[in-house]
Amino acid sequence: MAGQAAPGDKPGRLVGAWWVPALAISALGVYLALQVSSTEGAGRESLFNVAHPWSVYVFMSALVGLLVYGLVRHATLWRLGQPTQESMFSQVRQRLMNLGRLGLAQDKVRRDRYAGIMHWCIFSSIVVLTIVTAQVAIEDDTPLHFLEGRYYLFFSFYGDLFGLIGLIGVGMALNRRYFSDYHRIRWDERFEDHLIIVGLGLVLITGFLVEAFRIEVTELTQEPDWAKWSFVSYVLAEGLHIFEFPEGQVLSAHTWSWWLHVSLAFGWLGLIVFTRLDHLFFAPVNAFFLRTDSPGRLSRIENIEEREVFGIGYVQDFTWKQLFELDACVRCGRCTEVCPANLAGQPLSPMHLIQDLKGHLAEVGPDIQHAGNVGEDQRAVSPVAMVGEVIKDETLWACRTCGACVQECPVMIEHVPTIVDMRRYLVMDEARLPQTAQAALQNMEMRGHPWSGTALERTTWMEGLGDVPIFDGSQEYLYWVGCSGSLVERNLPITQAVFKLLTEAGSSFGVLGQEETCNGDPARRLGNEYLYQILAEQLVETFKSKNVQRVITNCPHCFNTFKNEYPQFDGHFEVLHHTEFLNDRLADGSLTATHQVSADITYHDSCYLGRINDVYDAPRQILEFVPGANVTEMRRNMSKGLCCGAGGGNMWQEEIGERRVNHVRSEEAIATGADQVISNCPFCIQMFEDGVPAVQPEEEGRLRPFDVAELLEQAVFGPQEAAPVAAAAEDDA
Amino acid sequence: MHFVVCAKQIPDPETPPSAFKIDATTNEVIPAQGFQPVLSQFDGIAAEAALRIKEAAGDDTKITVLSMGAESAQAAIKQVLAMGADEGVLLQDDAFEGGDSHTTAQVLAAAIKNLGDVDAVFCGRQAADWDMGQVGLLLAEALEWPVAILAKDVQIADGTMTTTRVLADGFETVTQSLPAVVTVSNEFGEPRYPKLQQIMQAAKKTVTTQTHDDLSINPGSVGAAGARLKLERLFIPESDTQVELIEGDTPEEQAQALVAKLQADKVL
Repeated sequence: MAGQAAPGDKPGRLVGAWWVPALAISALGVYLALQVSSTEGAGRESLFNVAHPWSVYVFMSALVGLLVYGLVRHATLWRLGQPTQESMFSQVRQRLMNLGRLGLAQDKVRRDRYAGIMHWCIFSSIVVLTIVTAQVAIEDDTPLHFLEGRYYLFFSFYGDLFGLIGLIGVGMALNRRYFSDYHRIRWDERFEDHLIIVGLGLVLITGFLVEAFRIEVTELTQEPDWAKWSFVSYVLAEGLHIFEFPEGQVLSAHTWSWWLHVSLAFGWLGLIVFTRLDHLFFAPVNAFFLRTDSPGRLSRIENIEEREVFGIGYVQDFTWKQLFELDACVRCGRCTEVCPANLAGQPLSPMHLIQDLKGHLAEVGPDIQHAGNVGEDQRAVSPVAMVGEVIKDETLWACRTCGACVQECPVMIEHVPTIVDMRRYLVMDEARLPQTAQAALQNMEMRGHPWSGTALERTTWMEGLGDVPIFDGSQEYLYWVGCSGSLVERNLPITQAVFKLLTEAGSSFGVLGQEETCNGDPARRLGNEYLYQILAEQLVETFKSKNVQRVITNCPHCFNTFKNEYPQFDGHFEVLHHTEFLNDRLADGSLTATHQVSADITYHDSCYLGRINDVYDAPRQILEFVPGANVTEMRRNMSKGLCCGAGGGNMWQEEIGERRVNHVRSEEAIATGADQVISNCPFCIQMFEDGVPAVQPEEEGRLRPFDVAELLEQAVFGPQEAAPVAAAAEDDA
Repeated sequence: MHFVVCAKQIPDPETPPSAFKIDATTNEVIPAQGFQPVLSQFDGIAAEAALRIKEAAGDDTKITVLSMGAESAQAAIKQVLAMGADEGVLLQDDAFEGGDSHTTAQVLAAAIKNLGDVDAVFCGRQAADWDMGQVGLLLAEALEWPVAILAKDVQIADGTMTTTRVLADGFETVTQSLPAVVTVSNEFGEPRYPKLQQIMQAAKKTVTTQTHDDLSINPGSVGAAGARLKLERLFIPESDTQVELIEGDTPEEQAQALVAKLQADKVL
């Protein structure tokens, strides 16, 4: 049951679990150092055998200069962007938390275990070895002297330890890049990728060599007890010692390897300016800039009626934050790996989208800046259309706004708002959109719902249910049925089930019936912000005039819109999804599920309830209340769950590509061996109704999709009361 | 050039059957609650045809939208204005109400003459409420202009209009001199989705309203008074379904019984 699901989504602590082994090993080193009796005089001549060590500072100045140059070069491009709506320096506490949790502790990086270990090895090695090197510099060039005695031995120990950890990380990285089958990190491979990882390996190896040569001619013979603390180099030095090279040769090798090491190290650091190594700075800073409100909220276009340009069709119309985050991308491919469109072979790869935008910015940015300086039209600069040529229309339409890419991105890029911004350009500025999406939008304009051609009324579901209370402000909750819950035949039993359960629980609620209109969510996701604002403003007004305080929704999309987006229109309501409300009623005993429902089921998280609003537990807890329900989780579940394919207005679009997303997800559900797939969203149910028969043509033994409420209805009222729903119920899409 | 697009506002054809009601005493359709009237879809296609010619011509072609109807028909006019038409005229008068295709054509013809220099009139192939498909033809008759109906393609150049018409068994290409009337069929293509800026501009445009006085029409000759068509009875046809299971032990016997039954009922 719920316990089987990996609880991998709790926010990690600042000190992530993987710091513990490193600290433990270090503590062991400290302890051992304290145990050694004769540390008297332990230490070494820093910068031993090196002529002109001051030249390191020349390297360092050059590096600092290079870094400043790189930063200025990037910053001039970011500055082309527009101001952000949310201040990037408000909510500083939360931003600092994000910086620590997502930037330093790298919570997102660890979502891939292998990559997490690899990255931690490399990251901690670089941090610790930088501190090691800095200590040598302080020891040598300031009056402070502390590299002696016990601390010197401990210093030798952890220097070698983190050098070794770094090499382990490099080894893991090499394995991934060169010995794994077309790993995601190679989906956009460039020369710099080889340079970075091979370069780091060489820096670490030469570091050990320098140390080994030094130890071979000094400590190994003079103070073998001390030498052992540099345990890696000690072994190397012992190895060298077998060959009995003359001391002069070893000293000369030491000098040469020292210079090689220093040159490689600074050269490698210089890569920060020219390669994706710049994520070293940009990733934590982007964690600081991460939105502090819900990821389910899209930006509101202010004063839309007074504008001349509505969406984003030109790179300089993005906010500077959107431009900044393009630079944080490391091409790791995690976004593309989880993108439902990409999984189905459809023309969207979030990573390539970000990289294409980054490339476009680098290409036209300087000219745009120049045009701005001399007062020319900045929109006329680009020789190619950003939307249409750099980013293809079909790429933008393939997005489900499911947020999987945003969830996985280790450098906190928010792809979805950027994609919707460009959709806004397509729809409102260019009026260029798929015919079927256009029909849905026009239907929302003309009829207040997206279900063109429905033969149902908003009150059809009430037939046979006796008195359905109409909300008049005296009830506690408004039960919001939604367009899909009332106008699509397949979903009527869900609406009826929720209604019966609400009634059974003795809740005080009413419905709006004929007065419901679309809350605008599909319009907003499809890019018609203007239509969305009209619908949202109307509905907020209706809610206020009827004194609505609390809303229970059928649909996670309505749920997200009311909860996260209506506050932008001064609509503040307490919003619950029906699974949350019903779970509470089961918990407090006002609903009891006594009837045996023997079924093998699997549970599908809708994106807008699960990933985007973090409601994973309530529906699963309901399943625990259902006697006889045997739950098997799908391979992708909870925050890693896969979209059904309908999100982002794709319910009303023809899919372009090799496969349909709902076929992919239906296969995953079928693979669990369950006979029912349970979800919480009318769109998901419709997508399964359509997808499962395509994967399982035989009707016998076919997986059947139901809403949580339908399952619970059977458990509460018994199978007789709850009329079974025809598995092949047609929808009117 | 100056084109006119005739646009009619009709009850929403997507009103669910359960919400469609008629008043048998007055022989009128009762507007369904919660369903706003819409632009007849064929008129949107007619507008698209006019707009494409205007865009291809690239000159200062003007498109005027004409609609005869109630105040609410402003919305239909605005919709065509948002698509890119230039001006809108609403022909609103109590005297126009209760008429038939003939009187509608008379009023539209008067309005078109009133506009003056019109080169072509674009109508939908039929209004999607009554589906009669008469007004375009009668309008051409009243104007004494040539007419092409059911066009799937329209070209206008050098004083002539060339249309490809949809026939039952193929297509027919017709060239006529301007001014002319064309009714555009759904085979032409879908109407465009307006850009937001055009919607905003359309919202600011004023639609002029004209009555029988403006058009110098005798109120007795139009509307219910001038109608030549008399509506006898308006009703929703009743349909009945009966199910009878055909008995038989084997599929062959069932098939034979079915054939016998169909022959008895004179279906076969």
